[in-house]
Amino acid sequence: MVFLKVENIKFSYPKSSVTILDNISFSSREFEFISIIGPSGCGKSTLLRIMAGLIGAGGGRIFLDNSRVASPSNKISFVFQDFALLPWLSNLENVKLGLASKNMREEERERISLEMLNRLELTGFEDAYPNVLSGGMKQRVGLARALVSNPELLLMDEPFSSLDELTANSLRKTVIEVLKDRKALPKSVVMVSHNIEEAVEMSDKVVVLSNKPTYVKKIETIEIKRPRDKGSRLFRKKVDEIYSIFAG
Amino acid sequence: MLSMIFSVILDTGYSWARMLIALAISMVIGLFTGIAVARSRILNRLIMPLVDVLQTLPILAFFPFAIYLFVFYLPGSIGINAAVIFLIITSMLWNLIFGVYQAVISLPSEYGELSRIAGLNLYQRLKKIFVPAALPRLSEQMSLSWAIGLFYLVTSEIFSTGTKNYAVVHGIGVEFVRAAATGNFYLYVYSIIVFVMFVIATRLLLFEGFDRFANRFYINEYKKRKRDRFTFNGLSMKFSKFKIKNKDLLLRVSRYVVYVIIAAVIAFTAIKLVHFVNISLAYTLIKYEGYSVLSLAFSFLRVWGAFLAILLVSIPLSIHVIFLSKKIKKYMLVFQIIASIPATILLPAIAEVAYGNSNLLAFIIYFLSGLWYVIFSIVATTKYLPSNIDEVKRIFHLNGIIAWKKIYLKAVIPGVITGAVTGIAAEWNASIVAEYFSVGNGKVLTSVSVGMGKALNVALADGNLLLMGVLLANMVVMIILINYFVWRRLYNKVNSVYS
Repeated sequence: MVFLKVENIKFSYPKSSVTILDNISFSSREFEFISIIGPSGCGKSTLLRIMAGLIGAGGGRIFLDNSRVASPSNKISFVFQDFALLPWLSNLENVKLGLASKNMREEERERISLEMLNRLELTGFEDAYPNVLSGGMKQRVGLARALVSNPELLLMDEPFSSLDELTANSLRKTVIEVLKDRKALPKSVVMVSHNIEEAVEMSDKVVVLSNKPTYVKKIETIEIKRPRDKGSRLFRKKVDEIYSIFAG
Repeated sequence: MLSMIFSVILDTGYSWARMLIALAISMVIGLFTGIAVARSRILNRLIMPLVDVLQTLPILAFFPFAIYLFVFYLPGSIGINAAVIFLIITSMLWNLIFGVYQAVISLPSEYGELSRIAGLNLYQRLKKIFVPAALPRLSEQMSLSWAIGLFYLVTSEIFSTGTKNYAVVHGIGVEFVRAAATGNFYLYVYSIIVFVMFVIATRLLLFEGFDRFANRFYINEYKKRKRDRFTFNGLSMKFSKFKIKNKDLLLRVSRYVVYVIIAAVIAFTAIKLVHFVNISLAYTLIKYEGYSVLSLAFSFLRVWGAFLAILLVSIPLSIHVIFLSKKIKKYMLVFQIIASIPATILLPAIAEVAYGNSNLLAFIIYFLSGLWYVIFSIVATTKYLPSNIDEVKRIFHLNGIIAWKKIYLKAVIPGVITGAVTGIAAEWNASIVAEYFSVGNGKVLTSVSVGMGKALNVALADGNLLLMGVLLANMVVMIILINYFVWRRLYNKVNSVYS
């Protein structure tokens, strides 16, 4: 059953005739992890923000579980490339922001947030402030904030690209691990990335976008069994395939 | 009537000539001092703590000294004009130095490496790298300098008119005094209109153009680095990362050195005085000290009372402008124009409103003198907020009370602290007109019973330099102590979290 549906999304900047996004369509079923890759400046992040309801599209529609998305909803959560944590709130307080719109008791909010911090291996840093953390740990707080409200759709805007490769790798592993638990986690995940290998490692489907005006070049399904071994022949083949679509 | 307007325009032209001369001199000194301080560790250690202290002192209160000095050494109207220009420079210079320093120190190190690889000499480095790199910040600080300068200009012109012997002949301040002294309502209104027109024209013709020109040299790499470097106007340059602790320590040590020098000068003067002075003078000194402390206490209540009112207005207003209106640029342009109108020229009008209540009048003048500093400071520091704070707000549905509690009120704290230092300094600066205001020929518009400004004016009228010295010393020591024990501590605490 189709859970997330992106239908003919168009976008161009106000007062500009240049088309950025040209009829972007794709869909996903429950518990699918989708990656969107494309050349820099092609409008990947804009597309993600349209899906979040942050920006209005110039045409087309987004459906989540058969209901239309036009503005931010508490079913949708977001992870930012540069973390976007509030420096004056402790890590715990930052995570609790994810539950700010939920009607629940303060103790309950705190308990759930602590649990989420714990799952992202941040126990002991609840009362610290974001600026004493490393980039990788900051993004863990960002992820905890996004996941704590148990959203139906998780959107991630290049979540690993401001981290160094080693840190990014270990965080990817954590994310894959956390997303395994289907009961408590988003039914759909969409990640924007410019890293083909990362996309192949994590996703079930990769949407490859073209350069401006941006259209969908190809939607690749990745059927490699998890956990995926980046050195395997199958994996390398898939990466090469997508690379040639990307470049071609 | 036409001749009246013509004379107002002519006088405003004189004032603007003083301002432009002072601005040109300040910019040249600020540019080269700022670059030198950013490039040389030794100069940094020597000059920065001094600038730090000077920036928070109410230099306007030293104006009487400046007049005596310049008029003593320079003949006739040159002396008084030099004194006015000198005073304006002392108001404009400090933040220019800080701005240039910030720009040069946060230049990506690649630029230094590039200049070494290309083998640029000092002149080439200045011309190709440092001066252009400093221009955007210089331009940013320039409009603030201009606004502060206008306050000093008008106030010193008016003030000099109050002292019979050293009055400037032409200047917008003279027109205000004439209007107030003769009760000429039309002259007063025309003067204000012409003044505001000049302010707007200067902004649109001079500053906007210079800003466009300067921002061509804006380096994008600043943005990231700016976030972990914070200027603390008025107290000290603070750095976020502890790795610079040593430098911080050095700065602190050198600041102590400056304090020790100031203390030594005061002690030396005191000893000298006591030394060849008899018991009766010592008795006078004690009496003056008592009078100073009493005056200071009264003014302190007014200044801090006004500061509380400033907080009540500036925090919601800034939050509205930054987070809710989405029209920061338009608001700022309007604010900058309003802020350029010195509280001093509104004084006669306020005196009418606060009819006879000199405490209320002092309160209003203090309020207007400090308000804009706090607002500008808040707006300036919130530039360094997480860039997508607005998206965070929408994604996580942070509205109403939660947004105020978790975002707005906390985001403005660093700005409030830096603004408090400069804002309160500006209030003390205004004390010299806020608490006692005479327009010559014996006509006194306002006079509180006890207060610092009142005491300074009394000392000046009597030519009592000893009393003036004691008063100023008390005020300076108090401001430095409060900066050190209150604002600096608060700032350090906040800075470790925010940046």
